[in-house]
Amino acid sequence: MSTVFLGGALVAAAVTLFILQPILSGLHASLDRAEDELTDTEARKRVALLALRDVEYDFLAGKLDEKDYLSLKADLTAEALEALEADAEGSEPHFLDDDVEAEITKIRAALRSGLMCVSCGFGNDDGSHFCSECGQQLKIGAVG
Amino acid sequence: MTILGEYALWIALPISVWGMLLGYVGGRTQRGDYVLSAERSIYAVFFLLVLASLGIVSAFLGDKFEYWYIASYSNREMEFFYKVTGLWAGQRGSLLFWAVILAFFSTLCVFLNRKKNREFMPYVAGVLQTILTFFLVVLLFADVNPFEQLAFTPANGQGLNPQLQNYWMTIHPPTLYLGFTAFTIPFAFAVAALLNGRLDARWIELTRRWILLSWLFLAVGIIFGMRWAYEELGWGGYWFWDPVENASLLPWLTATAFLHSIQIQENRGMLKVWNMSLVLLTFLLTIFATFLTRSGLIESVHSFAQELKIAYIFLSFMGVVLLACILLIIYRLPKLQSENSIQSFLSRESAFLFNNLILLGAAFAVFWGTIFPLVAEGVTGQQVSVGPPFFEKVNFPIGLVLLALAGIGPVIAWRRATKRNLQKNFQIPIMVGCFVAIALWIAGARHGLALVTWSVCAFVLTVIATEFWKGTRARARIEGEGFAVALFHLVTRNRRRWGGYIVHVGIVMIYFAFAGAAYNVDERQHVLPGDQINITSPFGHIYTLTYEGLSVSLGRGQRNLLWQAIATVSVEQDGVAKGILTTEKRQYVTSDQLMTEVGIRSTVREDLYLILSAMDDVDGALSANSSAQGIDLQVLVKPFVLWIWAGGLILALGTVIALWPSVDRRRRSSRPELEAVTTGAPAIAGVAR
Repeated sequence: MSTVFLGGALVAAAVTLFILQPILSGLHASLDRAEDELTDTEARKRVALLALRDVEYDFLAGKLDEKDYLSLKADLTAEALEALEADAEGSEPHFLDDDVEAEITKIRAALRSGLMCVSCGFGNDDGSHFCSECGQQLKIGAVG
Repeated sequence: MTILGEYALWIALPISVWGMLLGYVGGRTQRGDYVLSAERSIYAVFFLLVLASLGIVSAFLGDKFEYWYIASYSNREMEFFYKVTGLWAGQRGSLLFWAVILAFFSTLCVFLNRKKNREFMPYVAGVLQTILTFFLVVLLFADVNPFEQLAFTPANGQGLNPQLQNYWMTIHPPTLYLGFTAFTIPFAFAVAALLNGRLDARWIELTRRWILLSWLFLAVGIIFGMRWAYEELGWGGYWFWDPVENASLLPWLTATAFLHSIQIQENRGMLKVWNMSLVLLTFLLTIFATFLTRSGLIESVHSFAQELKIAYIFLSFMGVVLLACILLIIYRLPKLQSENSIQSFLSRESAFLFNNLILLGAAFAVFWGTIFPLVAEGVTGQQVSVGPPFFEKVNFPIGLVLLALAGIGPVIAWRRATKRNLQKNFQIPIMVGCFVAIALWIAGARHGLALVTWSVCAFVLTVIATEFWKGTRARARIEGEGFAVALFHLVTRNRRRWGGYIVHVGIVMIYFAFAGAAYNVDERQHVLPGDQINITSPFGHIYTLTYEGLSVSLGRGQRNLLWQAIATVSVEQDGVAKGILTTEKRQYVTSDQLMTEVGIRSTVREDLYLILSAMDDVDGALSANSSAQGIDLQVLVKPFVLWIWAGGLILALGTVIALWPSVDRRRRSSRPELEAVTTGAPAIAGVAR
């Protein structure tokens, strides 16, 4: 019995020491956002891009009319670009790799240019005026 | 070890209270040392609760009948396996087990977030310790201490209720408990967000996986429970709208609603108050479920407890949590305003909203049906019972609308869908649905509700298959991949969407099986050895069952068995021998009640389910007198039951796909959004190339 009691006392002492140590010896847990976490602007950007992705998907899958698609896409592209630009003005470069940055630029350009065929969804090369997949005339510069 | 376990339980209480206070104070004053101490206290409480659980398990293994809990739920003859799982066989152990799992999830949560989401963690630690403190107070002060000793040491224990000595019963409660307790983590993040005022979409992003995990455990736990009822309770069904079954269904319904409505908040910045309320409601319902299961307030198959003190403690706790949460939401209302409004009635967000209202309607109906007898008894003093007919009447139509929505939702676009597109997209699925209904009608199916259910199932499956087909085709075309590769990438690059669709397929399979119950065949006959019963299956073939005889034997102490009577029946289907089925009655030392073991022959089409209902003369049969071997044999043919279990597997698979962390997500936070754009949407990817 006394051995068990001693065991219990030891457990209690060890546990108490374990939880009091930070206060006694000044150990601190961080309370700030870590460097690689999303900031609010980044979160907004992400949401805008994801929404854009959904609209693209819905259009490709035939759930959206071309007219609605173009107007929604214009709205969302504007939102996404705004968020991207707001982000670029901030102190963000520390968390982006160069290649990531380059990809964003590419996406930005592609979003603006309207090289994607609204009829079949094919992504065309620069300078195209007609879709190489289905022959539809491309609406270059129609959105963004 | 057992005494040390009891000490550990007592030590855990002050540690937990300490952690709770330091979590809140540390968050408020931004003191890092306080917060670290609070977080460490969670590790400490987990360690202490593990010690306490080991104490109980060692008491089971050591046959320490001086403890009330061990004497009530074990005896010397019990198998090792059931002694270990005795930890959650009764109310007291279950509460301890519950606390251990909660402490485990809390520890995991604190550990995973030791370097991120730091501005949430002080309050998260505080909230988790609050819940842990509550369970410790219940364990120590509500007359349910599993370490309570008797004034004397009985020579042997009473043994475990034989119905609980079943494989499914040992895994069903822990699975449900995992589901219930895992939901505490999203709740803690939600309250932390309310406390620190960071109410953007981030807390939802942080908790989505926890919610999916909890949802998965709840779903699987419910299905395990159905399986147990089907195999062990011996009345031929899997769901009886028992209060405890209902209690586990309630948080699952509201969590399902939440999983859909968070998508509206993420996509459209709407429904913030609604989502917050759903998290709080689901958490309260998990506590309510424990309360119902383990307070003995409502008598049911599951309730083996009588104490009422614990009921009051639970009710007060739920009341305090509810009030605190409502006040917090009101305080934060300005930060919970919607950023957008619904643009069109024909949009996915309005479909989701509708789905939410229906799910909550179902939850309310189930809740009301469950507590109504209690309220009525309190008011009128008369016992009222609300049986399956009420729940079925209310929930069948609700369930059908929900099922239909699972087909409508995916086809409607976010924000704005046009009638023309809807017509175009719905044409084929509706045609398939109608075709299935007509084909089944021609094949002879005449049950209205079943026909409608099956035709809606066909509609939903067509929609989902079309989604997969269109997505794969688009990806294959744009990325130049083969179809199999394109399908694989499609699913892995947007696991959540496609995992969700797979879950829907599982749900459709389960509905399909439920509707099969309309064609159950149920016959009861008195038979003597050599007698035959002919049963026509709903599929037209004929089972010829030959009763071979009853063999009664005395138990020799194994598994506490006194005697068992085994009826042997050979089965022929359209003249072809299909083997032998047995069904039993058992008398255990530990219970006055006779237990039934059913005989089941499962095929893809139907289950043949035999129940030994009654015996003419057990003593005569024991002396192998064949004229005394007459029995009442109940024969059921139950179409499609296997599909429930299969549907459960598909559902689990889909959920695992949806919550599996993607490789890219593990790398850098900047990656996933690019992934989303460059690979999730084939069109943009095509442009970006």
